[in-house]
Formats: sequence, C-alpha cells, structure tokens
Amino acid sequence: MIPLSVTLLLAAPAAALLAGFFLLRPWKPQWTHWPILASCAVVAAASLSLAARVYSGWGIDVPLATWMAAGEWSLSFGVRLDGLSASVLAMVSVVGGLIHVYASGYMRGDPGFARFFLVFHLFYLAMIGLLISNNYVQLYLFWELVGLSSYLLIGHCYQRRAARAAALQAFLTNRVGDFGLMLAVLVLLAAFRGGGTRFAILFPILPAGDPDLLALAGLLIFWAACAKSAQFPLYFWLPDAMEGPTPVSALMHAATMVTAGIFLLARSWSLVLAAGHLLQVLAWVGAFTAAGAALIACAKTDLKRILAYSTVSHLGLMAFALGLGQVPAAVFHLITHGFFKAALFLCAGNIAHALGQPTASVSEVGGLWRRMPLTCACFAAAALSLSGIWPFAGFYSKDAILDAALHRGGLAAAAGLSISFLSSFYIFRMLFLAFLGPRPEQRGPRLHEAEAVMAAPVFFLALGALGVGWLAKGLGTLLSSGWPGPALEALPGPSLPVAAAGTALAALGALAAYWLTTALSGWDWEWRRSLPGLEALFESDFGWRRAVASFSALVRGAAAMVGGPWDEGVDRVCEAAAGWAGSLGEAGRRLATGSLSDYLWWMLAGTTVLLATVVR
Amino acid sequence: MAQLALGLAGLGAAFFAGLMVLQRSLYVAAVCLLAVLLQVAVLFFLSGAPLLAFLQVMIYAGAVMVLIVVAIMAAGSSAGERWSRLALPWPVAAAGFLLPFLEIALIVARGGPPSGGLGRTLAVESQVGQVLFESHAVATEAVGLLLFLAGLSLVSGKKRSAG
Amino acid sequence: MTGAIWGITGLLFASGLVMLILRRELLAMLLGLELMINAVNISLVHAAGLFGDPEGLAAVLLIIAVAAAEAVVGLSLILRMHQAGGPLDARVLRELRG
Repeated sequence: MIPLSVTLLLAAPAAALLAGFFLLRPWKPQWTHWPILASCAVVAAASLSLAARVYSGWGIDVPLATWMAAGEWSLSFGVRLDGLSASVLAMVSVVGGLIHVYASGYMRGDPGFARFFLVFHLFYLAMIGLLISNNYVQLYLFWELVGLSSYLLIGHCYQRRAARAAALQAFLTNRVGDFGLMLAVLVLLAAFRGGGTRFAILFPILPAGDPDLLALAGLLIFWAACAKSAQFPLYFWLPDAMEGPTPVSALMHAATMVTAGIFLLARSWSLVLAAGHLLQVLAWVGAFTAAGAALIACAKTDLKRILAYSTVSHLGLMAFALGLGQVPAAVFHLITHGFFKAALFLCAGNIAHALGQPTASVSEVGGLWRRMPLTCACFAAAALSLSGIWPFAGFYSKDAILDAALHRGGLAAAAGLSISFLSSFYIFRMLFLAFLGPRPEQRGPRLHEAEAVMAAPVFFLALGALGVGWLAKGLGTLLSSGWPGPALEALPGPSLPVAAAGTALAALGALAAYWLTTALSGWDWEWRRSLPGLEALFESDFGWRRAVASFSALVRGAAAMVGGPWDEGVDRVCEAAAGWAGSLGEAGRRLATGSLSDYLWWMLAGTTVLLATVVR
Repeated sequence: MAQLALGLAGLGAAFFAGLMVLQRSLYVAAVCLLAVLLQVAVLFFLSGAPLLAFLQVMIYAGAVMVLIVVAIMAAGSSAGERWSRLALPWPVAAAGFLLPFLEIALIVARGGPPSGGLGRTLAVESQVGQVLFESHAVATEAVGLLLFLAGLSLVSGKKRSAG
Repeated sequence: MTGAIWGITGLLFASGLVMLILRRELLAMLLGLELMINAVNISLVHAAGLFGDPEGLAAVLLIIAVAAAEAVVGLSLILRMHQAGGPLDARVLRELRG
C-alpha cells in the first residue's frame, strides 16, 4: 500500500548512514560521501516522482506503528504525503542533493570529512522525516533531531572557540523554541484526547475545541517557529551560526532547516486560523523581522553574515505572507528562496574556499569577476532573483507577497515596499563590493575559479533560481492537493501595477548600491570611521544582542543563586537550627547553677504557679 | 478564754519565728525554734488533740530539736559567731519556755479545749489508733522502717568515717 | 478561730521559707525546713478537728516521725560535710552545676 518511493525516502538515507558509519568511517573515511551521494540521488528522484503523483491528486496519510497507547490516548508513527509536504520535499531533496555534491568538494582535506558527511546526511534524513510526519509528536522528534544535527554541524570545527559558542547558542535558543512546541503538543493532547496529534484527525475537530486552549497552542507553535525560523525575539543565533562550514550554512541555515518553522505554521494552518489573533501577530513579527534584518544586512561586512541577515529577512517575509493569510505565496517563496539563497551561499563559499579561509569579508575581496566568472554569473543570477527582478524566480514569489501586502494597504504595504528596496540594496551592494568592485587587486595567488565539483551545483542552483518561478501555477495546484481545512486561494498571477512597483523599487535599490559602492568608492568604509556609534548600533542589532546578553546573564545569576548559595543557604539553615538547639541548651544550662538557693527559688516559683492554677 | 489562749499562742509563735529568721547566730535561732515548737503544741491542744500536743513536745521539741542543737554545737558556727548582737536576753528566753505552760494552764482552768464545731472532743483523737494501725497500717510500718534505716545510715556512716 | 489558725500557719510557713531560701548556712536551712513542717502540722490538726476526721491526726503523727528521720539524715550529712572540711555553706555544694 505504501509506495516504494515513500519507503525509499527514509530507507535510502538510513542505509547510507549505516553503511557510512559502520563500514566506511572506520575503514576508508574519504569514501564516506559515496553512499551518501547515492542516497541523495535516490531521494531526489523519489521525491520528484512523488510530487508528480501528488500533483495529479494522489496522497497518503497512513500510520506505520504505534509507539504507545493507553485507553483513548495514543502516539504513533506515520507518513503523510500531501501537497505541502510534497512541494517542500521536492525542494529540500534537490537543493540538498546539490549541496551534498558541493560539500564533497568543499570539505575535501578536512580531517572531520567522514563525520561531517554523516551528520550532514543525518540532518537530511531528519528534515525529510519532519516533512512527511503525520502527527505532531513525530514532527517534534524530527524537529529535535534537526536541531541536534544543526548543533553538531555548526560546531564541526570544534577546535575553534567561536564555533563551539555559536553551536551552543544555536542549540539553546532552539531549545527555548522547542519547549514551546512541546507545550503546544501537550496542550493539544490535553484538549483533544484521542486524536490529539494526528493532523488528519485533529484539524477537522479543531473548531470544537476550547478557544483559549487553541489560542495558547497556536501561540506556542508560533513561538517554536520563531526560534527555528529566526523571527524577531529569537533570531540572533542564525548570524552567529555562520561559524559552521559553508555547505552547512547553505543547506541548513538558508534553504531547509530554517524553513521548518514556516513549514510547521503552514502545516498547522487550521490551528493558526482558529487561534485568535495569531495571524496579526504573525504579520507584525514577520514584517518587523524582515525590515529590521534587511536594514542590518546593509551594514555588514562579512559575506556570510550579510547572507545570514538576508535569510532572516526573507524568513520574516515568509512569516509576513502567512500573517496576511497567503499560504501559497509563503510556500512558494520558501521554495524559491531555497534555490537562490543556496546559490548565493555557495558562491560565497567558493570565494572563501579560494582564499583558504572559513569566510571572507568585503574588505578582502573585490573585482572578482575577472578571476571567478562563473561564480560571478551565478551570484548575479541569484541576486537578481532575490531582488525580485523579472523573469527570475524571486520575482514571482515576491510579487505574490507584495500583491497581498499592497492589497492590505497601510503599514503592511509600506513594509512590503521597504523590504523590496532594502533587499535589493544589500544584495547588490554585496555584488558590487565583492565581484564588481573598484579594487581590482586581490589577495593571494590562489584566487581562482572553483573546481567542477563545486561549480556545477552552484550553476544548477542558479538555474533553479532562474526557472523555478515558472512553476507558480503548478505549485498552487500541488498545494491544494490534500490541503486540510478551507481551500487555499490561488497564487495571484503577476499584475502590472504590483510588478511595476516591485521592479521599480528593486532597481532603485540596485542603483543606490551602485552609487554608494562604485561611484562613491570608499563610502562603505568611511561612514564606519566617521560614525562609530552608528556602526556599534548595527553591530549589536540595534541593541537587541545586548538585551539578550543581559537576559541570559540574569538567568545565569538566578541559576547561580539557586545552585550555589542555595546549597550554602540550606547548610546555613541546618547549622543555624543546630545552633539554636545549642543556645537553647546553653540557656537552659544557666539554670543548672548547682547552687542550692537558686534551686529553692525555682521550686518556690513552680509551686506557686501550681498552687495558683489549682486554687483557682 | 480560748480566744485569749489562741491569741497568746499565735502571737508567741509569730514572735519567736520572726526572731528566728532575723537571727544571725544559729544557737539563738535553734532556741527560738524550740519556743515556736512549744507554741505549736499549745495550738494542737487548742485544736482538740492533747495527745498530739504531748507527742509534739516529747518527740519534736524534745528529741529532734535537741539533736539539732547538738549538731549546731558540734558543727554549726565559726568561732566568732557564737553570740550575736541580737542575742536573746534571758527574760525573753524564760518567757518563751514558760509561756506555753501558762497557756495550757489557762485553757484547762477554763474548761479544756473548746468543743462543738471547732476543736472537737477527744472522740476524734481516740480513733487515731484505729486509723494508724488498722486502716493505714502499711504507712505506719513504712515510717517505722524509715526511722530504722535513718538510724542505720547514721551508724554505718559513722563507722565508715571512723574506719 | 479557723482564720486565725490559718493566719498563723501562713506566717510560720512563710518564715520557714524565708529561712530556707535566704540563708546560706545549711543548718539554718534545716531550721527553716522544720518550721515549715510544723506550720503544716498545725493546719492539718485543725482541719482534722474541723471535719472530725481522725486521719488528719494520724497523718500528723506520721509526719512528725518522718520529720525526725529527715532531721537525722540531714544532720548526719551535714556532720559528714563538716568532717570533710570546708565551710558548711550551700555555695560549696556545686556538684550539680550543668
């Protein structure tokens, strides 16, 4: 009953992992990537074929095994393949496969090559598992597994203190969000006993639930998505996660893992709709994150960090789209973003790899188009896609979101327009500074074009960034297949006024970038020198990093107070009690003077008291 | 007349008790106590228990107090304290010893201890024997044993210190 | 008459108590003790007369006997202390000091 493709989705990566861990890693670690690449190919093929099947209306949602059951409660494992999971799965598998290929070239020579690939593929497996889960508990398990592999991969070069710190920060921040997801699962289990977690059973009966509990569950799921998808309060781990190797940044923190939060919200759309004013909260937080992160990205100098803040901004854009009620637009942007952001990251990785460093700063590169033409072309294509220029993919997805924003009018429209401008500005700034800069001299003789195994994936991803947009209509149909709850609105086709507005702003941003980087050469460095306060403001994310640091210091202080002095406090209380007993004894001891007259006095007093009580 | 006797006995007892308390010298205090005990005997007589008055004089005043006086003489005071400033002048001491007899003479002359209501007749006292040796014989035996043991301890104690 | 008797009893008892507590010499304390016992005896005899109960008189007899025994034991102890040397003072008896 379960088709082979579905089984292969999980079986192939699992088999590759087992083979890699038990056979190859001890014996020939430099061959670890072969079974893994094979499994990637298998999974990509399977997911594409499944997407085609789901497109034609097929879908499955079957339980595979019951984990535990008691009375009307039960937790089970199962598979659900509908439009949403098939579309995101297709993107994840294709982009993931290409990045696996890239990584086999990028990580060559790294002493932790085998470990990297195994954990990388573990992440791949976990992401697939997350996408095809059919209930919240299973999704939570894979969610946690994704977080764990993120921690392991960010800290891949664990000898570096910065990497360790960033990995821990990412893990703990995600943990804060995961707690929200766990509480949401518990709230749902409490509210809807028997079918508490299975999507197919839960969503139809949602309207019958207690609205307060639903609002609470919705808010908690939103909190979890905030942590995983780097929305405003909990986004700060993502820029620091750039300490990981570039393939990690590309796959996890651009294309797939961070989109898990958006995926969760889309999956729980019935719950989100039923949960009070969650949509408004989503829209506000998304818009705020998108605009703020875009602003900060304009001032960063490290290539990967510009792209990290750009990712945060685009995730905010997806959340914004969800908040406006446009699920197809958000998912579409998720898919296109996966392609162009991965392409951008891999280009940055090419530059860094050519320089022999983990990452590069804009002050170290310039005018690279001569030495690295292919990388430059792919970067430019992806940049155009990001800015939303026709006919690239980003245009279609951003246009859909901008359309909804302008429809809403007011602050939403202003947010949408400013985000268009800012995203174009920062990406073209990066393009001009790194590739088309006014500084033709570069560092080091090793700056050369990337080798084939690293250039090819970038090329294909750039192709994807170009062409995926034409699948808009197909995506709309795909998503509607098996969609629980009310039917989705169709993706709006490009309308002229919206397209004009978006393109105009993007062009404005590109021109501004050109003006400030090429025409006024050196402006990018000079404002930092003349306005150090402003730079400090950008460095600390407008003070949010400092707020987070002081909050965590507060928690640490409370923990120290509970852990350390609490022990001493308890000891002191016990000793004080013993001391009181001792002093009572000492005080009582003073009664025993050994003097006869004193004893007689006491006898007299006691007798008087007794007589007084008796005679009364 | 009983009232007069009562008043005298009461006053005497109070006087000699006060004297005793304010006394520095142990000798004089012992003598005062003796006087008090004699007044107490008179009071017993007034309350209608002549046997007890007799026994009080004989045992308490006669034996116990003598014992105490002897002990005081043996161990009581340091050298300078034998005679204190507030020593009893001999008329007072004489009065103290003569007074009880006077009071008893008074009472007897006026018809014995008052009867009816207070100070009942000898009928009460005649039952003492029955109470002591029949109802509460155990208590009497116990007290007798106590006296024996006290004497024994005295003897043995002396023996140990001597040996 | 009863009131007067009780007054005398109270007075004698208080005097004996004062002697017992406020004097330091052991023999003086013993004298006070004897005074207290006699005060109680008076009260008992009078009560026996009041209620026509011979048991009171029997009790007084026994009390006199016990007081005699107590005087004997107390005096022997005091004499032992005297033989051991040192003043016959209550302040010397500090063995029970805690």
